[in-house]
Amino acid sequence: MKLFLTRLALAAGLAAPVLFAHADDQAKRGEYLARAADCMACHTAPGGAPFAGGLPIVSPFGTIYGTNITPSKEHGIGLYSDDEFFAALTEGKRRDGAYLYPAMPYTSYHLMPREDSDAIHAYLKSIEPIERAAPVTSLSFPFNVRLGLMGWNVLYGKALKLEPAEGKSEAWKRGQYMVEVLGHCGECHTPRGLPGAMELDKRLTGGILNGYLAPSLLATDLAARGWNEQDLATFLKHGMSAQGTMFNEMFPVFHNSTQGLSDTDLAAMATFLLGDKPPAAKALVEVPVDKLGPSALRGRQEYLNVCAGCHAAGGEGKPHIAVAMRGNTTLRLEDPRNLVRVIEDGIGEQKFSGFEHMQPMPGFAGKLSPAQLTDLINYLRQGWGGQSAELAVSDVQKLQAEAPSIEHKAH
Amino acid sequence: MANRPLQLTLNGQPVGPVDIPDDLPMIDYLHEYKNLTGSRLGCGQGICHACVVIVDNPDGTSEEVRTCITGAHYFEGKQVRTIEGHAKRDESGQVTELNPIQQRFVDEFAFQCSYCAPGFVNAATVLVEKLQRQPTVHSKLEQVIEDSLGHHVCRCTGYVRYYNATRNVLTDLGLVKEG
Ligand code: FES
Ligand code: FES
Repeated sequence: MKLFLTRLALAAGLAAPVLFAHADDQAKRGEYLARAADCMACHTAPGGAPFAGGLPIVSPFGTIYGTNITPSKEHGIGLYSDDEFFAALTEGKRRDGAYLYPAMPYTSYHLMPREDSDAIHAYLKSIEPIERAAPVTSLSFPFNVRLGLMGWNVLYGKALKLEPAEGKSEAWKRGQYMVEVLGHCGECHTPRGLPGAMELDKRLTGGILNGYLAPSLLATDLAARGWNEQDLATFLKHGMSAQGTMFNEMFPVFHNSTQGLSDTDLAAMATFLLGDKPPAAKALVEVPVDKLGPSALRGRQEYLNVCAGCHAAGGEGKPHIAVAMRGNTTLRLEDPRNLVRVIEDGIGEQKFSGFEHMQPMPGFAGKLSPAQLTDLINYLRQGWGGQSAELAVSDVQKLQAEAPSIEHKAH
Repeated sequence: MANRPLQLTLNGQPVGPVDIPDDLPMIDYLHEYKNLTGSRLGCGQGICHACVVIVDNPDGTSEEVRTCITGAHYFEGKQVRTIEGHAKRDESGQVTELNPIQQRFVDEFAFQCSYCAPGFVNAATVLVEKLQRQPTVHSKLEQVIEDSLGHHVCRCTGYVRYYNATRNVLTDLGLVKEG
């Protein structure tokens, strides 16, 4: 019977419902699932108690605060039954019947099977209650009217449909669950339309978050940027690979979630993303110095002046200091947005698994003129990104204007 | 790598044009081509700031630039001061008078091994000159010093005497107003 159930679940592409003898085992399993679902990211303030809420999430509608999901009866979810927890997780419905703001990724979680929700609930019930209220979300009208969310929910709340799993490998199915449901990767890597809902016909084709591009995760696009299954799994596990390091919004995802996932699950995620028959990773075509365009050629000297000290003159980077530019996934993106942002904003010091870390990169906002920045970006893209087209200064200025530079303090 | 010409002003003296490699780090140019060995190569990674020089901008402001991670050609056409440029010298080149920061750091034993000292002198000199343009007030003084010197690493002193000496210089020069 147990074997039958397991097969049934696997066939449905869901997590195997092992029949747990002890509540402890269920909570342990829930801990892993909560990590895969990255609950920590939004429900923990920087430096705050785990799951006690308080992280400000800036949305186009105003600032939404992650709530306290510790078992505090007054401030947390201590009074939730398994049914109520399941409704919150998968339908965005609070215990009192009010709707949660869709910053809570219930559009993805709504495909979570009941036993996984119960396990996460069991885990959250097992942690220490934190008797402190998270800041109250107050949005501007009309988004402050939670009733309006009912309409939003009718329209989009359950709109996520997974790609049919027929004929796919077990690893692909598991990977789909990890990526699409638990990991809710699509919440950032999918463009959003005006009411803040994901444009589901463009699922995983890339979205924009706080001025940065969460790039396309489609297999063909990943392969075009040089990704293969092994490198993807390594990237998720260690936060770095030959293609560069996690930064910006993915850095906490790595810390709170992906680095703690099993190798099997990470490999499954890579299998799902690249497909059972992955397209070959595109070899990098570097433009030699004598073939660089005029802007890129000027940019080469900018690179030697202000980048080569850490990223090396030949673009190979320096271990534990700065990533390689040659073949870097940000350089290989057709969209130069992230390159503009990183050069302008810099990246704080980053710690990875083990003793690995990368030193801080200074931001160059105000230090390079738009023309110098454009030259530099053209050199990086042509020299080591396989992007031969030269950008105009106006292209770069447009991106600069869209997201004013912010100073990075941490990670 | 190809050579290209570099021209700049170094400690008030015009230099070049001189053909040097296009990827030569500034610290190597100072050490190997100009025999100006006072700027220290510490980490070589842009962290410790032992290697900074001062660049004087056309608008009258000055800033520190790390020479370990910055190519010599970045300084094309710029006005650059190194640690060797602060003291007054006689005809023969002998030092006759240190700048107020240098003198105070010596008087107050601000450094021990001194490896970091050129960087601290440059940072504090930039601060003195900034406050000469726009003085600060007592209530902000400690924060101003932290903000200006805080990114310099010293492995010996624990920073306190550097910061105290800087505070004393700024106060004695009348750059700290009531408030
Ligand atoms: S040697 Fe330049 S910052 Fe350390
Ligand atoms: S005095 Fe030795 S490192 Fe500062």
